[in-house]
Amino acid sequence: MTVVNQPVIETVRLSKSYRTGFRMKRVQALSELNLQVEQGEIFGFLGPNGAGKTTTIKILIGLAQPSSGFATVLGRAPRDPRVKRRVGFLPESPYFYEYLTAVEFLALTAQLSGVSRSEIPGRVRQMLKLVRMEHAAHQQMRGFSRGMLQRIGIAQALIHDPEVVILDEPMGGLDPIGRKEFRDIIVSLREQGKTVFFSTHILADVEMICDRVGIIVGGKMVEIGRLSEILTGEVESIEITLQGVSGKFRKGLERIAQRSIESGDLLLLTVKSEEDVERVLAIAREAQAKVRSIIPRSLTLEEFFMARVKSAGRNGGV
Amino acid sequence: MLNRIWGIAFNTFRESVRDRVLAALIVIAILVMASAKVIQPVALGEAEKIIKDLGLSAITLFCVLIAILVGGRIVYREVEKRTIYLLLARPVRRYEFIIGKYCGMMLVLGVSLVLMTAGFYLVLLLTGVKPEPRLLWAVLMTGFELAILTAVAVLFSTFVTPIASAVFTFVVYFIGHSTQLLRQLAAISPAPIVKFIGMFLYYVLPNLNNFNIRGDVVHNAPLNPLAMVLSIAYALVYTFTLLLIAIFVFNRRDF
Ligand SMILES: Nc1ncnc2c1ncn2[C@@H]1O[C@H](COP(=O)(O)OP(=O)(O)OP(=O)(O)O)[C@@H](O)[C@H]1O
Ligand SMILES: [Mg+2]
Repeated sequence: MTVVNQPVIETVRLSKSYRTGFRMKRVQALSELNLQVEQGEIFGFLGPNGAGKTTTIKILIGLAQPSSGFATVLGRAPRDPRVKRRVGFLPESPYFYEYLTAVEFLALTAQLSGVSRSEIPGRVRQMLKLVRMEHAAHQQMRGFSRGMLQRIGIAQALIHDPEVVILDEPMGGLDPIGRKEFRDIIVSLREQGKTVFFSTHILADVEMICDRVGIIVGGKMVEIGRLSEILTGEVESIEITLQGVSGKFRKGLERIAQRSIESGDLLLLTVKSEEDVERVLAIAREAQAKVRSIIPRSLTLEEFFMARVKSAGRNGGV
Repeated sequence: MLNRIWGIAFNTFRESVRDRVLAALIVIAILVMASAKVIQPVALGEAEKIIKDLGLSAITLFCVLIAILVGGRIVYREVEKRTIYLLLARPVRRYEFIIGKYCGMMLVLGVSLVLMTAGFYLVLLLTGVKPEPRLLWAVLMTGFELAILTAVAVLFSTFVTPIASAVFTFVVYFIGHSTQLLRQLAAISPAPIVKFIGMFLYYVLPNLNNFNIRGDVVHNAPLNPLAMVLSIAYALVYTFTLLLIAIFVFNRRDF
């Protein structure tokens, strides 16, 4: 068993560079990435395209070696077979042996993961049911759609009942219903005490199910923590909608507001602080305009994400 | 370990069996042997030898083609299609993967060899040639030649594309059957560099001529059991060495 307080997944100053192209130009895919995922957590690994998510995951699975720094899973090197027995993995846009049927493929993955022969058929059936693929159980996978492949991918990652599940963009290719089903699967994994690490760029999914998130940009971890800590819930801005503001008052209002949008006789103003709200309301009274709504808004993960990606870009991170 | 190697080997076998290329090559091989029926009336006295020689040569040629065309892509395809991620993410050691792939390919070749030999004996029966068991010795030696060639193909396919792997393996096959030429070249050449390269290749490349006993078998010449045992031992050592190199290369790779 894992010792309490020892992280299930850990990377320490993890760096990876690739040499590519004709002139063997060096690409720094990861630089000094630190990360810890505790037992029983759902950890969302967020980042724009090319940020280094897949690279990190490949190192955690033992498919690639770090250039410097190190990674451990369940307290051991990722390539240790004792670790792999307890880890489930779904690669990015997975592709499977198209000449196999879903059942044959899942049986093979179960066998390779050390599931005992007598348990294999039962496990395979259970997994097909979990990802709702029973109808295609005996079909060759060459005809499968992207979403069907993704479902089989999730099934093969869970076939040996792993303690740690590492998924690279698991929502890719899934329709909204599939995404919902998938979120339910992940949450049920947490209920079983398993640890889930997944990468994505779909923020809504992260907001709904993750305990903690890490944001990676240009190979560097720019933010890591509980969602509630990252998004403090503080009021970030206030939106005021006014109706019937005549032209001469408009200038003054637009000076106070950060942003203003006109539509018909409605004017939507976004302001920073309570005082600004007071000032806007004073002018509105003077202008005899109607106040339709005042809505405080807190920062969404999306806004936060965009802001972090942008600022990391400015600092030469990307 | 054996369980996992077998899993990978059987899957490799299943892949090839469900692929049309293999079936096509086996069918063509048997058709070529059957074409002996046409020569039969023409070549009177020599007909029997021609039919035997054609059949055994066809078996060798088409199995070599299978080893090169199918064998050359078995590792590469897994990397290119990224199915290998799913295998190596499991408690499968990299050497188990290479050995599994190799064994799977040998299983494919073994079955091909059996089917083609069965077809060959059928052709012998149909053309009224006595189906002597002695001919099987030639098939056996071909089997060991294929063991080497498949190891060459697997080794290449760990680091070059299937086409390059097929070309290189074919070159090895070709030179492997002309190693005596290399030695002669080294002996007569005045340039030391040519001498060196000639001798180097002579020792490094597999000597595949030893596995060709078709002439002796067909012409009822006496077989040399000691030479055959030595050749088989050579094949085993050579194959083992190549697989070790393939595993070494593969172990260090990033995906
Ligand atoms: N095998 C490789 N050879 C060379 N460069 C690579 C290799 N793999 C990744 N890279 C580079 O490393 C960087 C990070 O890539 P990575 O695939 O980890 O990004 P990602 O965060 O997974 O992106 P995406 O969201 O698009 O999947 C990129 O600049 C990429 O070009
Ligand atoms: Mg990726």
